[in-house]
Amino acid sequence: MAISHTDLRPEPGSFRDPANRVFHAGDDVLRGLDARAAEEWRTLAGTEFFAALLAAGKVCGTEPADPALLPAGAGWTAALRHERIPFVSHPYEWSFSMLRDAALLHLEILRTALPAGFTTKDGSAYNLQWRGVEPVFIDVGSFTPARDGEPWAGYRQFCQTLLYPLLLGAHLGLDFQPWLRARVDGLDADQMRRLFGGARRLRPGVLTHVHLHGAMQSRHADTSTADTRDRLRAAGYSRELGLATVRGLEKLVRRLDPPGTASHWSAYQRTCGYSAGDRAAKEAFVAGALAATPHARLVLDLGANDGRYARLAARHAEYVVAVEQDPAVVDELYRALRAEGERRVLPLVMDLADPSPGGGWRSVERAGFADRAAADVVLALAVVHHLAIGRNVPLPEVVDFLAGLCAPGARIVVEFVHPDDPMARRLLANKPDGLFPDYRRDAFERLLGARGRIERRLELPSGTRTLYAVVVGG
Amino acid sequence: MNHLAYLDAGSGSLIVQAVVGGVAGVAVAAKLYWRRLVDRFRRQPTDQR
Repeated sequence: MAISHTDLRPEPGSFRDPANRVFHAGDDVLRGLDARAAEEWRTLAGTEFFAALLAAGKVCGTEPADPALLPAGAGWTAALRHERIPFVSHPYEWSFSMLRDAALLHLEILRTALPAGFTTKDGSAYNLQWRGVEPVFIDVGSFTPARDGEPWAGYRQFCQTLLYPLLLGAHLGLDFQPWLRARVDGLDADQMRRLFGGARRLRPGVLTHVHLHGAMQSRHADTSTADTRDRLRAAGYSRELGLATVRGLEKLVRRLDPPGTASHWSAYQRTCGYSAGDRAAKEAFVAGALAATPHARLVLDLGANDGRYARLAARHAEYVVAVEQDPAVVDELYRALRAEGERRVLPLVMDLADPSPGGGWRSVERAGFADRAAADVVLALAVVHHLAIGRNVPLPEVVDFLAGLCAPGARIVVEFVHPDDPMARRLLANKPDGLFPDYRRDAFERLLGARGRIERRLELPSGTRTLYAVVVGG
Repeated sequence: MNHLAYLDAGSGSLIVQAVVGGVAGVAVAAKLYWRRLVDRFRRQPTDQR
């Protein structure tokens, strides 16, 4: 007998295709399919290409489930159960190489689907998620039988959410994250044309995918897509041509290199002045706090930099999300983690003083960072002074922010850099004297004590930094 | 009814895919535009009547 979930919650980001919808029920991720989508799923499940993608982990784990688990009377004739993605992230939190690998996976999936008579209904960056540093295609509802003579319906979306942001990075050296964060549908060709004038038109992919694409869009704005499809079919558009387009896109995307600027933060770990003694003591303290939280599902490493502590955390926890502000540093970390084969750390680009807000329809389609984070351990090593002094965030708010990212009973491992530490002094030198009278160790300790139980504290040998392990609410 | 089309693929975005598909694609695009041109001239005399 089917057990109905009472806490069934529709995924706010899955409403766009009415043929299917994702629901959460506890840790279960379910997908409801209407009659037509159910029929298509049965065909898809019997194909070799789909089985191969599943086996390789390129498509998220999917199995049939009991439709009785879904809301009755909503027209769902079949149900699927998906693998749970450990931490949902958004494309504007990814680094350049992450977005590029996500784009390449989307294209690979399309390239293997087309010869088997399937295509994807869309081409969005939001079709992809991460299992550590492995991209995963999650939108199983996007597969649909291809019709001969029709170009890819997802091409425009692919350009807007994947290709154009990559062109911004590779050709102009711009960080794409703010553009994607501001526009849920990505960048449009018209805006891109203005950025790529003059000789920039000649950069790879620009003339066709940006200028010609944009010109065609304006020229055919009033032509219906049904008419256009009929005309293209009559003119001889073939599946081979579709495949050639996908291969061309793959070739282009592979050629796009990340913007190569040595940034301030990538030198941070090397220049931030920890003595060997401080570093060893800090590592032992952090390892101790992690070991005291067995079976941690999620560790957040805030201000992860080169990922030293994220890697340490991965030895103790199921999954680590390493948050870092500088896209170039995250890109380096991503590539290093992939090279090492570390599969449990997800690096993300985010400014802690400006965490991802909710976005899209009613600001819930793309959940904000705080709504996604329920960590068992939060590591905040050498970040408090950047927020409190560098960004003027009041110290009590910093502590509240850290506590707000915690699951009940979680631990916070936090480093307080004393006002007389060289790094703190450097930040304070840029602000008027006496601006932060409350930035003191005793004040910080009181704030921690009000939100949890200080379990351990350790002053590092240099005497200018103190580490705390705090059990939230404990 | 086209079940694929929950998304507006955009006519311009569909046509440009013929062109980016290489030589064979350019041929399809040329054919597409040739037909449009021929259609326009064929239609003209009837429009004037």
